[in-house]
Amino acid sequence: MEEKYGGDVLAGPGGGGGGGGRLGPVDAPSARFTKYIVLLCFTKFLKAVGLFESYDLLKAVHIVQFIFILKLGTAFLMVLFQKPFSSGKSITRHQWIKIFKHAVAGCIISLLWFFGLTLCGPLRTLLLFEHSDIVVISLLSVLFTGSGGGPAKTRGAAFFIIAVICLLLFDNDDLMAKMAEHPEGHHDSALTHMLYTAIAFLGVADHKSKVESWFSLVMPFTTVIFLIMILDFYVDAICSVKIEVNKCARYGSFTIFVSALLFGNFWTHPITDQLRAMNRAAHQESTEHVLSGGVVVSAIFFILSANILSSPSKRGQKGTLIGYSPEGTPLYNFMGDAFQHSSQSIPRFIKESLKQILEENDSRQIFYFLCLNLLFTFVELFYGVLTNSLGLISDGFHMLFDCSALVMGLFAALMSRWKATRIFSYGYGRIEILSGFINGLFLMVIAFFVFMESVARLIDPPELDTHMLTPVSVGGLIVNLIGICAFSHAHNHTHGASQGSCHSSDHSHSHHMHSHSDHGHGHSHGSAGGGMNANMRGVFLHVLADTLGSVGVIVSTILIEQFGWFIADPLCSLFIAVLIFLSVVPLIKDACQVLLLRLPPEYEKELHLALEKIQKIEGLISYRDPHFWRHSASIVAGTIHIQVTSDVLEQRIVQQVTGILKDAGVNNLTIQVEKEAYFQHMSGLSTGFHDVLAMTKQMESMKYYKDGTYIM
Amino acid sequence: MGTIHLFRKPQRSFFGKLLQEFGLVAADRRSWKILLFGAINLTCTGFLLMWCSSTNSIALTAYTYLTIFDLFSLMTCLISYWVMMRKPSPVYSFGFERLEVLAVFASTVLAQLGALFILKESVERFLEQPEIHTGRLLVGTFVALSFNLFTMLSIRNKPFAYVSEAASTSWLQEHVADLSRSVCGIIPGLSSVFLPRMNPFVLIDLAGAFALCITYMLIEINNYFAVDTASAIAIALMTFGTMYPMSVYSGKVLLQTTPPHVIGQLDKLLREVSTLDGVLEVRNEHFWTLGFGSLAGSVHVRIRRDANEQMVLAHVTNRLYTLVSTLTVQIFKDDWIRPSLPSGPVAANVLNFSDHHIIPMPPLKGIDESNPVTSTPTKPSSPPPEFSFNTPGKNVNPVILLNTQTRPYGLGLNHGHIPYNSVVNQGLGVPGIGATQGFRTGFTNIPSRYGTNNRIGQPRP
Repeated sequence: MEEKYGGDVLAGPGGGGGGGGRLGPVDAPSARFTKYIVLLCFTKFLKAVGLFESYDLLKAVHIVQFIFILKLGTAFLMVLFQKPFSSGKSITRHQWIKIFKHAVAGCIISLLWFFGLTLCGPLRTLLLFEHSDIVVISLLSVLFTGSGGGPAKTRGAAFFIIAVICLLLFDNDDLMAKMAEHPEGHHDSALTHMLYTAIAFLGVADHKSKVESWFSLVMPFTTVIFLIMILDFYVDAICSVKIEVNKCARYGSFTIFVSALLFGNFWTHPITDQLRAMNRAAHQESTEHVLSGGVVVSAIFFILSANILSSPSKRGQKGTLIGYSPEGTPLYNFMGDAFQHSSQSIPRFIKESLKQILEENDSRQIFYFLCLNLLFTFVELFYGVLTNSLGLISDGFHMLFDCSALVMGLFAALMSRWKATRIFSYGYGRIEILSGFINGLFLMVIAFFVFMESVARLIDPPELDTHMLTPVSVGGLIVNLIGICAFSHAHNHTHGASQGSCHSSDHSHSHHMHSHSDHGHGHSHGSAGGGMNANMRGVFLHVLADTLGSVGVIVSTILIEQFGWFIADPLCSLFIAVLIFLSVVPLIKDACQVLLLRLPPEYEKELHLALEKIQKIEGLISYRDPHFWRHSASIVAGTIHIQVTSDVLEQRIVQQVTGILKDAGVNNLTIQVEKEAYFQHMSGLSTGFHDVLAMTKQMESMKYYKDGTYIM
Repeated sequence: MGTIHLFRKPQRSFFGKLLQEFGLVAADRRSWKILLFGAINLTCTGFLLMWCSSTNSIALTAYTYLTIFDLFSLMTCLISYWVMMRKPSPVYSFGFERLEVLAVFASTVLAQLGALFILKESVERFLEQPEIHTGRLLVGTFVALSFNLFTMLSIRNKPFAYVSEAASTSWLQEHVADLSRSVCGIIPGLSSVFLPRMNPFVLIDLAGAFALCITYMLIEINNYFAVDTASAIAIALMTFGTMYPMSVYSGKVLLQTTPPHVIGQLDKLLREVSTLDGVLEVRNEHFWTLGFGSLAGSVHVRIRRDANEQMVLAHVTNRLYTLVSTLTVQIFKDDWIRPSLPSGPVAANVLNFSDHHIIPMPPLKGIDESNPVTSTPTKPSSPPPEFSFNTPGKNVNPVILLNTQTRPYGLGLNHGHIPYNSVVNQGLGVPGIGATQGFRTGFTNIPSRYGTNNRIGQPRP
């Protein structure tokens, strides 16, 4: 069956097991690669042996000498094999400079590498260092470019990070007893090892050069040079030519991690003594890095992440469909990504957005207040860390958490000024309302949690020490009071503006016929300045709630210190929770009304009047579906269908109705003027029976009206 | 929690009014089940919260918030029943469909805010890890899990089902899909189970329970209390991941945006509209979703000065009506006032018009005869400079078109759009008799099916 349909039926990616109908890049038969894979695995295994051995060697030899001998031996053998001077092209001066740079960098890296080896032991070094290029590259691309390639890669990167964290935090490396004898005193985790590396690096201590006879070290050095450098280099080169790079990376890292784990467990075991016998340098059995749960877990995660990250990304690319091949399989073009990302440089982006923020009043105020708040928070956090006071630190985090509302308000204020796009066809102004709504919900959640907490405390009032609370809350109070001053100023200002606009609209009602453009301008200006800005209200309420919190803390502190009323604290917070809740309800209500496309309450009366006036227009029969809603602070949108007698000019009706509704405050208007002919056309055009029915009904009503008018 | 929800209702809900509406909903038999589940949910949540405080585990608290989210989703379900019963009121002229969207948005946002609180708490806990008692941890996990799954699977929650289908996949779903694809690569038989899109709520419930089990194990074995905080963070992040796409989707509906998936269709329709005869441009197009699914929109169409407004309006509406159910089209012309100034050619045109008028007009249209007389003089009188290079008969056209507007509608009917346009074109190009002949020939060609329809339609006005 499979073969029969192989040619023309598309097999799904999971379904089509064999045959020729398989999609995707073609895999070569794996049997051909087996010998290379075995070779690679064996080499990696040997490399692990070499590293363990070099760890033993490093106990006897100083690191600098070790690296010198290692590099010397490698260079000698390599020059013999490769003949770089006698064969090939001669090296230019430019290339020499590059080679020199490369050598310096390589030297530093290998110094760090082996220094890490002396400190953390071979197992951890192997886990951290032995990643192939492809793994590291795809990790970095996931972490820093964002478009790493599908969820699989993201998972791989997450595994990698988890592995590193496991190694750093959960790996209690040496048993304390064993560690006690280490020459430098002791560090209990790999993290401190790393720190120590950084500190002690500059003066590399020569406390370990206790070589009895260099001659006895020739053999171990040879094996190390051969295993770590030469063999690995050549086999890697061969394998990466013969097999795919990612396969090479996958098998290689798997083998090396597993063998590292094995050796980590068994290196000191009698079985491996044959291996170690080569190294006659006495191992004092004093400090051995042992296997711990954390290391095993992190090794597993490293293996997983190496496996995932080195696998070729199947799904990551977003192709665009170009067409179909003659067989009917879709053809995709995978060029897209490089062209779409025209990313700005970060400083420039920050500069631009700062400029945008500072341009307008609202966002500027939020931004300044955010800065002030963050400053206070960081001072608090810093001071908390300095004095090791948990209360301060957690209060700092609490402030940071509050700042998230401000950040959202800032974003909303920023975004609301973006230009209208295809998707946001009215512009982004409505985002402010949505942000106000979210802020309101946020405050409700806060009020709820405070309420629950205070009820719990009311039942069981805990003892609390108050000595740290007062300065912090006074500081918070001052910061928040500044915020309230700034925002309430804005609040009043907007109120004034909206009143002004109302006034102007009243004013121009009387002679709306000849002051159209003027009025429109005045109105839009007025409402752009303020109207109802839910976003600012939300932010203001947030700051208000914070202020209330600080006041509550101060009051309850005073009560507790003066009278010892521990019940005052929960009572205060109960009161505050209720206050916050009550203050938020109007905001939520208003935002809900706007989001539900309610007739704007502040225009309700005018719109009613306007509709009555519309009905009196000459030649107008009726209107239907009047929808008016506030889209954003500055836009009140409306649509209406108007039926007119067939003898009037549509454009004149449109003009009159537009004038009336514009005066009523609707500034984004669509008017559909329908005559009797329209319904005839429609009943003819629409083949759907249902629509025809609706239309004929409409027509009947029209007829009735018409009769009425004609009778009159 | 209940009180919070009450005030999310749109109107100032005095409790009596609320109770009345509630009674309305409760009268429906379907909502009994939901109310029952809501009651069970409340008790369940109460127990879970008690266990949370007795175990002192924040991971369990994070998981409990999922149960509370379930309560919200039940309320959303109730709201959607209520919405179905309500008719649009004059104040809420679009009806209450959006309330559903708002409820979905609010509950997803509340879930995310809860997750945010969990994150904050767990950061504080990292500083000072309290001891966790595992006593009720596993019990709580399984009670919550079974209850959540039971609710999800037994109640058909229309709004959430729609949103979870329509919104983009969460990262949790993507990862699970990715994993299950590789599993299916190994065992192809499982593909029917794993490959379809997983329900995000079931997924997060299972994943959260899994995290809690791991927590339990590690605490039991090794007293790793930090695992509790870590899994709380994991659950919070998963909650974010699950809820975020849904709140983005419903938020975009609330923001009155054009849903991206209909943009292609809309573009096609608008292109068609702009190629209609007489249409010069389409602008100020606003299309947005009213509730989940139904599209509303308004558009301004600028037409040529001599085009027939009602016909264009009908065609535009007809095209867009397939996609946009609540549609308003404003037709506008440039310079429509200007022609009234010069009066010279008017008389000639009127004469001209009356000539033609007599020929094609059946006596039935007696009422309409007055229309052109009042409306035409303004139009054709202008010798518009921009059209002057066109056919000489241009000025006469509107007259003909005015005639066509009411009567020969059957043409458009018969031939669908294309012949209709061609006829109108003909009428434009060759005014006068040529056009009328066109109509006549068209008229004779009426296929019987539509013809009857037409004849039924025609005598009515």
